[in-house]
Amino acid sequence: MLACANCRAILVPVAPAVRLAAVWDRVQEDIDAPRPTHIERLLRALRMRDEDARLLAAAPSLQTSWLLSVVTVLTFATAAAHADARGVAWFLTIAPLVPVIGVSGAYGRGIDPTYELTLSTPYSRYRLLLLRVLAVLTVSVTITAMFALIVERGWATMAWLLPSLAMVGLVVVLSSIIELPWAAGLVTGLYLVGLAPFALRNHEVVDLSIPLIQVWCAAIAVACAAAIVASPQFRLASRRTP
Amino acid sequence: MTATVQVTELTKRFNRTQALAGVTTNLTSGVTGLLGPNGAGKTTLLRILATVLAPDGGSVRTLGLDPTKSTERTQIRRSLGYLPQEPGFQRGFSAFEFVDYIAILKEFNRARERHDEVRRVLDAVDLSSVSGKRVRALSGGMRRRVALAAALLGDPALLVLDEPTAGLDPEQRLRFREMVSQAGEGRAVVLSTHQTEDVAALCQDVVVLHEGRVRFQGTPTELASVANGHVWFASERDPAATIAWRTSEGLHRHLGEPRHGAQLVEPTLEDGYLLLIGRRIEAVA
Repeated sequence: MLACANCRAILVPVAPAVRLAAVWDRVQEDIDAPRPTHIERLLRALRMRDEDARLLAAAPSLQTSWLLSVVTVLTFATAAAHADARGVAWFLTIAPLVPVIGVSGAYGRGIDPTYELTLSTPYSRYRLLLLRVLAVLTVSVTITAMFALIVERGWATMAWLLPSLAMVGLVVVLSSIIELPWAAGLVTGLYLVGLAPFALRNHEVVDLSIPLIQVWCAAIAVACAAAIVASPQFRLASRRTP
Repeated sequence: MTATVQVTELTKRFNRTQALAGVTTNLTSGVTGLLGPNGAGKTTLLRILATVLAPDGGSVRTLGLDPTKSTERTQIRRSLGYLPQEPGFQRGFSAFEFVDYIAILKEFNRARERHDEVRRVLDAVDLSSVSGKRVRALSGGMRRRVALAAALLGDPALLVLDEPTAGLDPEQRLRFREMVSQAGEGRAVVLSTHQTEDVAALCQDVVVLHEGRVRFQGTPTELASVANGHVWFASERDPAATIAWRTSEGLHRHLGEPRHGAQLVEPTLEDGYLLLIGRRIEAVA
């Protein structure tokens, strides 16, 4: 067929024009479509919708520079954990803050360069916020968990997880009143202020693996999740756009 | 003509600064220019029109809808294109990806339709050839055109452009004017500017804001006519003039109350604007 021009000419009137145009459109679309970024490709590989992958690729705290800074901080915390007998406790004190700080860089005024533009669009601000918070939380928790396993194998080094989820939950709940970065700053401040008296009195950090602390953190995390799901903003955000 | 935007007694305060002190105006189809010095309240007014800022008092009705109600605000946003004063861009996004990102936020959910729309608006601002380039690698003028392309997505009924020609060289400004004037056909465009030439070239209507209040609303010709009988040339600087400057011909152009027998000349839009603002400044002084 490729070698015979006459054969092709005979077939042209027989070929369905509409279908041919549709096929050609698809070919053109595939050629013209922009090459997605690494993070977008990863998210698409995880079966995320194209639109959501692009919205997440724009999150400042999913950029390579931020991820590198997380890895650097955790590398130092891990090194400290190996160098000192109380190092694991120090690691457990720092680790819950990593997802909280990550979430603070997910969305907000002064964080997202297109924040102002985003506000003028019909897309739900709360949906965008939750989408990015979930993505940043997943990435931060995964990285921190990997470092925790390097510090010491066993569930004790995962004691940071529930405090971290509780704090992120509080940040999201507070974000309906104040900007997300301010909410994260407030929760981080309260966490540090809460730990400081104990550290000053006993010259050591709080052991977050104490069951009572874990139960309280689990309760706070669940309560925050329930408050988020029950909020009118969540109901509006979960509606699909036309 | 029915107003696209009705603004009534709008007020907004930032700490000790009264940004808007009772602005009342109607904006109709076509291009409307907001003129005023720095701090006049132009950006505050445009941000309120773009639904990114809530006023302290007064009311706005945009396209017949009330932006204080959540569902109506969303409807307004579906018919709105906004170019902020300093549009930010995501690091690493190409022009196409950036406009595509905004298109997702504007509810273009089907990839093919969205990509077609992105190509259309990039073509409208003459950026198709650089759509694959990173935004940070583009010139300032091109970046503003990328932001304009994003504002044009979905063919919005209302375009809000905050100083679209700021920082552009004369050639880029001309191109931008051409694009904005095309965009203004069949829809309402509100743009703020310091440049009286932009208003004279583009706008059917002009609103002068000063110290958070509307000092004038009318056509560019009417604004120029504010200075009728108040512009004159003289070889020496006249101390009685409100504003005076030496022109390239070596004569002094004066605005204010002329002396008897002064050589009066036809005023321009800039004369009208300067006289309006100058009188206010004088009154305050």
